[in-house]
Amino acid sequence: MKTLNIRRSFWIQLLKQLLCLAMVAIVVAPIALTLFAAFKTKADMVRTSPLRLPPFDRITLENFKAVLSNKYLFVGFRNTIVILVFSLFFNVMFGTVTAYVVERFQFRFKKVVVSLFFLGMLIPTFVTEIARFKIISGLGLYNTLGAPIVIYVASDLMQLYIYRQFISRISVSLDESAILDGCSYFGVFGRIIFPLLAPATATVCIIKSINIINDMYIPYLYMPKNQLRTLTTFLMNFANAQQGSWQKLAAGIIIIMLPTILLYVFFQKYILAGVIAGAVKE
Amino acid sequence: MGLLEKQKTKFIVISLLVPVTLLVAFVVVPGIDLFRLSATDWDGLSRNMKYIGFDNYASMFRDKDLWISLKNNMVYFFVHLLMIPVELAFAVLLTSKLRAAKFYKTMVFMPYIINGVAISYAFSYFFSPINGAFDAILSAVHLEGLIRSWLSDAKIVNYVLSFVSLWRFSGYHVILFMAALQSVPQDIHEAALVDGANAWQRFRYIQIPSIMLMVDFVLFDNIRGALQVFDIPFVMTNGGPGYASSTFTLYTINTAFKFSRFGLAATMAVAIMFMIVLIYFIQNFLIHKVMLREGRR
Repeated sequence: MKTLNIRRSFWIQLLKQLLCLAMVAIVVAPIALTLFAAFKTKADMVRTSPLRLPPFDRITLENFKAVLSNKYLFVGFRNTIVILVFSLFFNVMFGTVTAYVVERFQFRFKKVVVSLFFLGMLIPTFVTEIARFKIISGLGLYNTLGAPIVIYVASDLMQLYIYRQFISRISVSLDESAILDGCSYFGVFGRIIFPLLAPATATVCIIKSINIINDMYIPYLYMPKNQLRTLTTFLMNFANAQQGSWQKLAAGIIIIMLPTILLYVFFQKYILAGVIAGAVKE
Repeated sequence: MGLLEKQKTKFIVISLLVPVTLLVAFVVVPGIDLFRLSATDWDGLSRNMKYIGFDNYASMFRDKDLWISLKNNMVYFFVHLLMIPVELAFAVLLTSKLRAAKFYKTMVFMPYIINGVAISYAFSYFFSPINGAFDAILSAVHLEGLIRSWLSDAKIVNYVLSFVSLWRFSGYHVILFMAALQSVPQDIHEAALVDGANAWQRFRYIQIPSIMLMVDFVLFDNIRGALQVFDIPFVMTNGGPGYASSTFTLYTINTAFKFSRFGLAATMAVAIMFMIVLIYFIQNFLIHKVMLREGRR
């Protein structure tokens, strides 16, 4: 009976592994095949099967060189970093303080404030730009890095849920004793609450970085100028310029994918925690 | 105490001033403005706009290409809907006794964090008729007969794009289901084991009820996602051939930013909001009133 069970669990485990390996194959295939193409010369694109790497002695790095020597890649990289730094800074600052005030204090109009933020989460993303466009251009932000920064800071509200969850787990007596000791409210927030929120801040920063780096729509819509490319819109321009030379585009695809993949590999724990917290609260 | 109250009020006002102003100016006002714009003929540029009542709504309902686009959204909706049981099964699989579970969990979520534009180009190459990898795979297993022009055949293009969408977003649902499954306290499982419940009974009577909330969220996310499909068709086919792979959101965006009919586009945006709410209520009704009641009989 026991050996029967062991044998049965072996087959079950094998079946599970096969299912999982099939999943991994589906996930990896499009990335691996793109990588294969990125290593090929133009001639090998036709000569060799797309399912294979070229023969070892014909592997070329020319495609990667072509992408890396494109000056707009670095323009895109720089702009993406600038947008990231400003968006994350203000998102964290406003996110923490808003969540703190809403979670800890009773005040007139609190219901109004809370329902405004709730309403903000219900408004659909893409189509709102039809009305927002007017406001952004009216403020002279069109074709400036200010446009994506303002939009990311104002409209991406998932950090509020993550911070509120976190603050609700911090004991209120901590605030109260600090106030009794003569600490101001700004002091309580700045010196006690904000540092305690560091793990939540890490989660917020990493998830937002991925969303911002990957976003195509806002930069595409508001920053058509060449000097204002982001990594993602750089790839779109690069793709349009490479009509037909897949191997070069493939190298571009791999390079643009790398930053978020690296973030994911190193900070997976924070990313999963944040994504789940963002969903559970809706 | 009066001083403290004053300090408190000052702190609250200073703290909320900027975030609330930003929210109102850049989210709430445009959200509401969509309703107003939907009653105008605004072209996106001129200072003047005429109020034309419900004319936009009338022309929206008459717009054949918009209906084609909406039908395409339905393809995404149903393809993703059919995948939800598979996603759930995978979540159960990954939370069960499994070697290398951590590695598989990493892999299943990876597509979700990959750059959407980059992967859309990668899939354009994958399905390309010239040296495309997918055709090569089919030839390798002697199924050349199945080869189609995947991205320019109006009959199948939406299914191909839905597959790309599945590739990107399924892992998100798997991770959410896993989180819900793992939130079931261990002692409930043990109690059920002691009482002699088999694997299916434990799944049906312990795991399913505890993840119903997450199922609700995933179903809602599916509606929202399906109605707002945008970047995959935008990058891979730009809605073509013709309007064969256009989607409601893509069509709306083009109406505004390509054809400068912001008033009409705002009407479509309003329609999207209504559809999300409406389908959510219908779906909720079907699940909680019809299906679950039948389960009790």
